[in-house]
Amino acid sequence: MKYHVFTLRLLLLAATPLLTDCSTPATKTAAKPATEAAVKGKAADKPVKGDDGEVDEYATAPDISDPLEKLNRGTFWVNDQLYTFLFRPISKGYELILPRPVRKGIDNAFENVKYPVRVVNCTLQGKFKRAGQETGKFVVNTVGGVAGIFRPAENIPALANIPEEDTAQTLGKWGIPHGPYLVLPLLGPSSVRDTVGLAGDYALNPVNWPYLYWFGSRSKHDWVIVPPLSNSLRSIPGQLDNYDTITKDAVDPYLSARSAYSQNRAEAIKK
Amino acid sequence: MTLRFLLPLLLAAAPLAVSAQLAEAQTRLKTAVTEVLSVADRTGNRSALPEKIRPVLKKYVSFETMTKRAVGPGWRQFTPAQQQQASQLFSTLIIRSYSSKFTPGEHPDITYHAAKEPAAGRVDVPTSMVYKGSHYTVVYRMEQMLITDVVIEGVSLIANYRSQLDAQFKKGGANAVISSLTQSVSRPQ
Repeated sequence: MKYHVFTLRLLLLAATPLLTDCSTPATKTAAKPATEAAVKGKAADKPVKGDDGEVDEYATAPDISDPLEKLNRGTFWVNDQLYTFLFRPISKGYELILPRPVRKGIDNAFENVKYPVRVVNCTLQGKFKRAGQETGKFVVNTVGGVAGIFRPAENIPALANIPEEDTAQTLGKWGIPHGPYLVLPLLGPSSVRDTVGLAGDYALNPVNWPYLYWFGSRSKHDWVIVPPLSNSLRSIPGQLDNYDTITKDAVDPYLSARSAYSQNRAEAIKK
Repeated sequence: MTLRFLLPLLLAAAPLAVSAQLAEAQTRLKTAVTEVLSVADRTGNRSALPEKIRPVLKKYVSFETMTKRAVGPGWRQFTPAQQQQASQLFSTLIIRSYSSKFTPGEHPDITYHAAKEPAAGRVDVPTSMVYKGSHYTVVYRMEQMLITDVVIEGVSLIANYRSQLDAQFKKGGANAVISSLTQSVSRPQ
C-alpha cells in the first residue's frame, strides 16, 4: 500500500515539471541545434528568394531535427489522450470551482515565486540589468502585491513585461545545441537540451525545494507534495489552452506543435 | 540636365515615401483591428463570429498570398482551380482559428510600435498586446497594405502551416494538400 502511495506520488511529481516550468505556452512555447535554430531564426528575419525568384523567408524558418519522429508521434498521441480524458476534466473542474480572478491571483503568486529561475538565468547569461529588473519586480509584487497575488509592478514601465529567462535559454545562449526533438510523456514538446534545462528550472523553483530536500526520505513530511502539485494543477488550464491553440486547427497537430516549439524557443533565446 | 537636377530631389524624397508607407501600414492595421473588434462585439455569439468577420478580414488580409506562402514551392504545381480551392479552404481555417480566440466584449490592450521595412515592399508592424492579463508580442507582416502573416511570440502562423502543408505536398502533391485542408476544415469544433 505504502509502495502504491509512493509510486503515485512519483507519477504526480513526474507530471509536475511538465505542467509547470517546462511547458512553454503556445504563444510562448523546437529541433536542430540551439545555435542553429537561433541562426536560422535570424536568417528568417532576412527574406530570401525562392526558386521562382519570389521572396521566401519561410524556407528559413527555425526547425529542429527529429530523428525519433516515430517514437515522438507515439508519445504525442498518448499525451493527447491523457490531456483529453484526464487533464481536461481536471481543468474544467478547477475552472468551475475557482472564479477567474482567483485563478489569476494563484497564477500570479506561483509565477512570482519562480523568481530564482529567472534571476539566476539572467545572471548566467550576463543580463545583469534584467536581473535587477527581475529583483525589482519580485520585491514590488511580493510587498505591494500581497505575496505576488497582485502584480503592481505591471504599472511600472521598467518592470512590466520583462522577457522571462529559463535554464534552457541559458544553455542555448552558451551555444549548446538543442539535440534531437523530444516529446516528453505528459510534458510535451522539448529537446535533449531543453529537458536538461527543465531539470534546472525544477531545481531552481522554490515550490519544489521542500520536496527535493526530503526526496526519498519516505518521511512523515507528506505535505511537501502539496506546493508542486498545486503548481501543476493551477497551470493545467493555461497549458491546455496553449495546446488547443497549436493543435485545434492544425493540418498535422504533431508538426504544428513541433514548429511552434522550435520557433518560439529560437525567439526566446534571441530576447 | 533635368535628370541631374531631379536626382537629389528624388533621393531626398525616397525616405519620406518609405516613412509615409510605414505610417500608412500602421494606420491600416489599427483600422482593421478596430473594425474586427467592433464586429466581434456586435456579434456576441461566438459560433456566428467566423462568418461575420470574414468580409472584414477579406478587406485587410491577403489570404491568397498567405496560402501560397504556407504551401511553399509546391504552389507552382497547383492548377489555378486547385490554387483557388486551397485558398478558400485555408482562409476558412485561418478565420475559424482567429475567431476562436475572441471573447466578445473583451478587448486587448494594444501598443503599436514603429513599423519597419525589412525588405522592399514589405512592412512589419510590431505590437505589444495585453489580453486577459497576459502579455504577447505580435508582429503583423504586410505587403501592399494587406496582412500576409501574424507572428505571435516568435511563432509565424505561415511558417507553422508551411511545415505541415509542405509535408503533405511531398507526400501526395496538390491533392494531398487540398485533402488535408478539407479534413481540417470539416473537423468539428
